[in-house]
Amino acid sequence: MPFESIVGAWVATGLTLFIFSFLYKDNPVFKVAEHLYVGVSVGYTIVKTYDTVIVHLIWKPIVENHEWMLLIPVFIGLLMLTRYVPKASWLSRYAFAFIVGVGSGLAIPRTISSFILKQVEDTIRPLLTLVPGEGVSFTWNLLSPASGVNAIIILIGVCSVLFYFFFSVEHTGPGKAVARTGVFFLMIAFGAAFGYTVMARMSLLIGRLTDLIEFSDASYGRPTLWLLVVTIGLLIVLGRRAQREPPQES
Amino acid sequence: MILLRRQLPLVITLVTGLGMAAQYYVPHPASEGLLTSVTKWLQIIGGFALVLGVTSLFHVHAVKIRRQEAGWGYSVVLYAGMLGTIAVGLWANGKESIDGVMTAFGWVYSYMMVPLQGTMFAILAFFIASAAYRSFRARSREAAVLLAAAVIVMMGRVPLGEYILPLSGDVSQWILNVLNASVRRAILIGVSLGAVALSLKIIFGVERSYLGGGKE
Amino acid sequence: MSFAERMLKIDRRIIFLVIGLCTLLPLLYPVGLPIKVSPEVRGVYEHIESLPERSVLFLSFDFDPASKPELHPQAIALLRHAFKKNLRVIAMTLWVSGTGLADQIMTQVAREMGKENGTDYVFLGWSPGNTAVIINLGQDLYKTFPSDYGGKPTKGLPVLDGVYSLKDITYLVGLGAGNPGVEAWYVFGKDKYRFEMGGGCTGVMAPGLYPLLRSGQINGLIGGLRGAAEYESLIDRKGTAVAGMDAQSATHAAIVLLVIMCNVFYVSLRSQQGRG
Repeated sequence: MPFESIVGAWVATGLTLFIFSFLYKDNPVFKVAEHLYVGVSVGYTIVKTYDTVIVHLIWKPIVENHEWMLLIPVFIGLLMLTRYVPKASWLSRYAFAFIVGVGSGLAIPRTISSFILKQVEDTIRPLLTLVPGEGVSFTWNLLSPASGVNAIIILIGVCSVLFYFFFSVEHTGPGKAVARTGVFFLMIAFGAAFGYTVMARMSLLIGRLTDLIEFSDASYGRPTLWLLVVTIGLLIVLGRRAQREPPQES
Repeated sequence: MILLRRQLPLVITLVTGLGMAAQYYVPHPASEGLLTSVTKWLQIIGGFALVLGVTSLFHVHAVKIRRQEAGWGYSVVLYAGMLGTIAVGLWANGKESIDGVMTAFGWVYSYMMVPLQGTMFAILAFFIASAAYRSFRARSREAAVLLAAAVIVMMGRVPLGEYILPLSGDVSQWILNVLNASVRRAILIGVSLGAVALSLKIIFGVERSYLGGGKE
Repeated sequence: MSFAERMLKIDRRIIFLVIGLCTLLPLLYPVGLPIKVSPEVRGVYEHIESLPERSVLFLSFDFDPASKPELHPQAIALLRHAFKKNLRVIAMTLWVSGTGLADQIMTQVAREMGKENGTDYVFLGWSPGNTAVIINLGQDLYKTFPSDYGGKPTKGLPVLDGVYSLKDITYLVGLGAGNPGVEAWYVFGKDKYRFEMGGGCTGVMAPGLYPLLRSGQINGLIGGLRGAAEYESLIDRKGTAVAGMDAQSATHAAIVLLVIMCNVFYVSLRSQQGRG
């Protein structure tokens, strides 16, 4: 096993156990790991931004390939940074105006096409097979999402939920029945979302414990076991120190 | 001054917004060329936006260290982690591996960043279990429906649930593909309509909060 | 305090311990229950299976280390399948903090399957701009990424032969943990550039992508660790996802039991208070 892998296993295991110590209670060991996490993440982002943006997107194209038009977005980007200079911060408005204007303009037709028209089309098109005509067929198979009965259920679901969120009209009379149907559909969807969220969170834990089990191997020097003892020891020492401190202050 | 500080930015938003929206419908090569150039510019400007976000974090913790506020020692740890990562990153030219061999930057990424970030999110598993036990109660009919759907999906999506009760797999599939899909579709349509409305308000200058920065 | 009250106010660290044991014990002593494959995952598998050799598969690793346990097994399984089918793979990421992971995944699986960088696959790396990158790729791939992650110029690479933009790719799979992710690839990519598309995502994102699946905007969806386990079963190469399924079963059963117990105690407490 390479030396850097063994050292890495010890460091990774230690940091993992320090973060897990929060489950017992908030403690200095967790706080150190938490601040280290923020520091390392920000440092990584800074390095990547420098390498990709400054070197590959700005320096090389402008200085080496003479793409002078790219000086315009560089200038706009520098305007954005004036936000930190109180007297000149109004200049940053030009940068934000450009970004927001372009972003909104790009998003509008694409969102309408993808998320509105296409979704409405797919809600209504399956129903065309149900209208009496040539080769009409109505399938009752609940297990097939494309069947006739499911197409009707989807239509009812979409319309009732959309109506539920339409607060400009009072939900009384027939409207109340539609809104209540919408709520019923919403509760089922939220229940399904909760189920999947549980699955996702448990998967994250499974992933970390898999790594801890791998690092408990003798080839790494069993860091999981040794560092578990160290972490528990630290928690006991820090806990006792916290208990002793209040009498000393008085 | 009002023209430069307030009206000109709004004009820029209007022109760029309408221009890029109209571009979608114009297949002419000049229009496509404009799209390519503008999106390239957005990539560069996006990089500067990252700088903005990072600078504010620098500032907050620098103040804490300077004033020696409570917990300033942790801010030193943060700075040490950040500067150490930047140093090894620049030394490795921003690469985690060169010709298949891991660099020091790659070591910091694999053995510090990955476990730290992974574990921070893994502890959520414990909190979701605790929260489910304490507050997931069928206080009303709606809550009972939510609870029943959650239990069916939780059991139907794992091998144990499908082994004990094969029907739970089929029912959870139906819930996801029909009931859940219809609700999510409605939410997607509603949210998209709202997003389009907000974008139009921004383009036409009705919504101006994005400008921020400086006095009128 | 009655038994029901005491149970409802139990120290949460006991619940943490229960969850910890339910996760750890099945990982140490696996059972290996069978995994049924869903039509969503089969959709992605069958589409890749149908592609002729040297077709272009575009993979976007839009996740960071926080979502590694769910999306890393998906990525590995997809790459193994693609390389087994001798497809050309173009990979990139829209998430800056996922660049290292994506590079490591590509290198690891390519080495395992004997594939050559530049000829069989290319890792383009990361570029800022999120959706602007997608549009730029749809206009001109070489302008968006003049060089690959290792610094080699992309123009002239054998793997990119005949590929000038997203319009020339055969299939795209976005592995997304949030925004930008699968939805962004559809809205800013497939909507205009008309390539076929599938999705992989975390368990949290999965329910929200079913409308796109139902409408055919994506032709398959690999959801969470379960989806990764199904894909591993399909390619007959069991990995970390299948190994994690027993622990997943145990933790889900534990949560269901906890929720049922909580409701039993709650009903019992309410009836006691009603009688009192």
